[in-house]
Amino acid sequence: MKRALVTGGAGGLGAALVADLAARGYAVVSVDRAESGTGECVSRIVCDLAERSEVDRALPMIADAGPFDVVVLNAGVSATGRFENVPAEAYRRLMTVNAETPILMAARLVNAGAVRHLCFVSSLSHFTGYPGAAVYAASKDAVAIYARSVRKPFARRRVSVTLACPGPLRTDHAARHAPAGADEGRRMAPEAAARQILDATLAGRRLVVPGENARLFALAGRLAPAAVTRQMRRLIFERLEKEVW
Amino acid sequence: MKKRILVTGGTSGIGLALAWRLTPTADLLLTGRRAAADIRDLLPEGAAYAAADQAHPEAATVTIAEALAELGWDALDLAVLNAGLGRVGDPAAEAPEALRETLDANLLGPILLSRMLLPRLEASRGKLVLIGSTAHRGAPGFASYAASKAGLNGFARALAEEWRGRVEVRVIHPGPTATGMHQRAGHDPGRAGRFFASPETMAALVEEAIAARRAATTIPFVRFLLRRKPGPGARVGR
Repeated sequence: MKRALVTGGAGGLGAALVADLAARGYAVVSVDRAESGTGECVSRIVCDLAERSEVDRALPMIADAGPFDVVVLNAGVSATGRFENVPAEAYRRLMTVNAETPILMAARLVNAGAVRHLCFVSSLSHFTGYPGAAVYAASKDAVAIYARSVRKPFARRRVSVTLACPGPLRTDHAARHAPAGADEGRRMAPEAAARQILDATLAGRRLVVPGENARLFALAGRLAPAAVTRQMRRLIFERLEKEVW
Repeated sequence: MKKRILVTGGTSGIGLALAWRLTPTADLLLTGRRAAADIRDLLPEGAAYAAADQAHPEAATVTIAEALAELGWDALDLAVLNAGLGRVGDPAAEAPEALRETLDANLLGPILLSRMLLPRLEASRGKLVLIGSTAHRGAPGFASYAASKAGLNGFARALAEEWRGRVEVRVIHPGPTATGMHQRAGHDPGRAGRFFASPETMAALVEEAIAARRAATTIPFVRFLLRRKPGPGARVGR
């Protein structure tokens, strides 16, 4: 039975990825800080991916649980509101979960020859800018450009690298960080995003932006980055009433 | 009154060259990882110095805040967050400590500093300048460095909108510069190294970009190939 690894598999997009992979016949290993989650994975590794010491402890266990046909580095947190009002410690944790840990994990697994298809989950903000979540945007840009940078060197080791940039999804995470009055119905279902992300990852595609609306927004961001980032300020930053991290 | 300017990574490369350009018209606070006694002779006369290792962002932020307090600088006209480091090599073989140091020094460091500096910059309607790299679009041989600089670019892009009307935020992406960073990073640029900008030339272009009104400026090879103006110490008439 082929194996797959999903980080942040206990909820949101991660849980949808676990369920989809299980339905495709994979034995799924999920890494999350929470014990709870879907019943579809064969094993769980509990690890707070925001803590360096825990990551160092879990990395050998994760490598031993492979080799994996598919690895989706999905775990992430956000911090929304005015940049200066979020505590420094929250930024440290955010940067660790969103950028440092996935990069470390990818290097470790690729170096050990323990992965065939690798996917980094970044964000649509890579194309649009994200005032109101400046450090989240920074972490997602970091991981996106890491994915682009390693595509060739990892290909020489027969590992495909896919960059996934999902927009807002119908998850608890998005609801927690959305501005006041945001319409949940317009967000994409995580199951649909998971399916598109996995199709692209298994095909070894360079980039996947799930959903028509997200793709249009990404295109607009590429054509007129400054104007779209300014629009994001009006759509999000100016409507955020408080800081959430 | 002279402008008050902070330059991190001010003891070598572009930061040091920039300090020398700015010193006639500004009061400077420079930072670097080396002890004050070791770099005193390199720095312009009168420049204040704080030893703050950006690879430890929380500690560096405290040290720099203390240095500003000691100088009595409640207001800051310009902060140039320039300190950075990087390594070259097979990304799969990169050691965890090396990766963590790169992300801390190049990304979390400037983020925490920006957060600390806001009230001081706002007090003088000052400018925050983040020094990125042309590698921010991706570089197979410098994957983690490229990632850190991409993060800085995304941070600047968002923050410029958030702070609009309060503090101007700029990101400047210098192209390859003969700063010694490539050698320290374990990379021999080979023949291409001959075309690298001198730190003095790059500092001049960075200074122009700071004065310009663009939120983001990229300074690629062609820009400085057309502008090989000798800096201090360079041979004239070459």
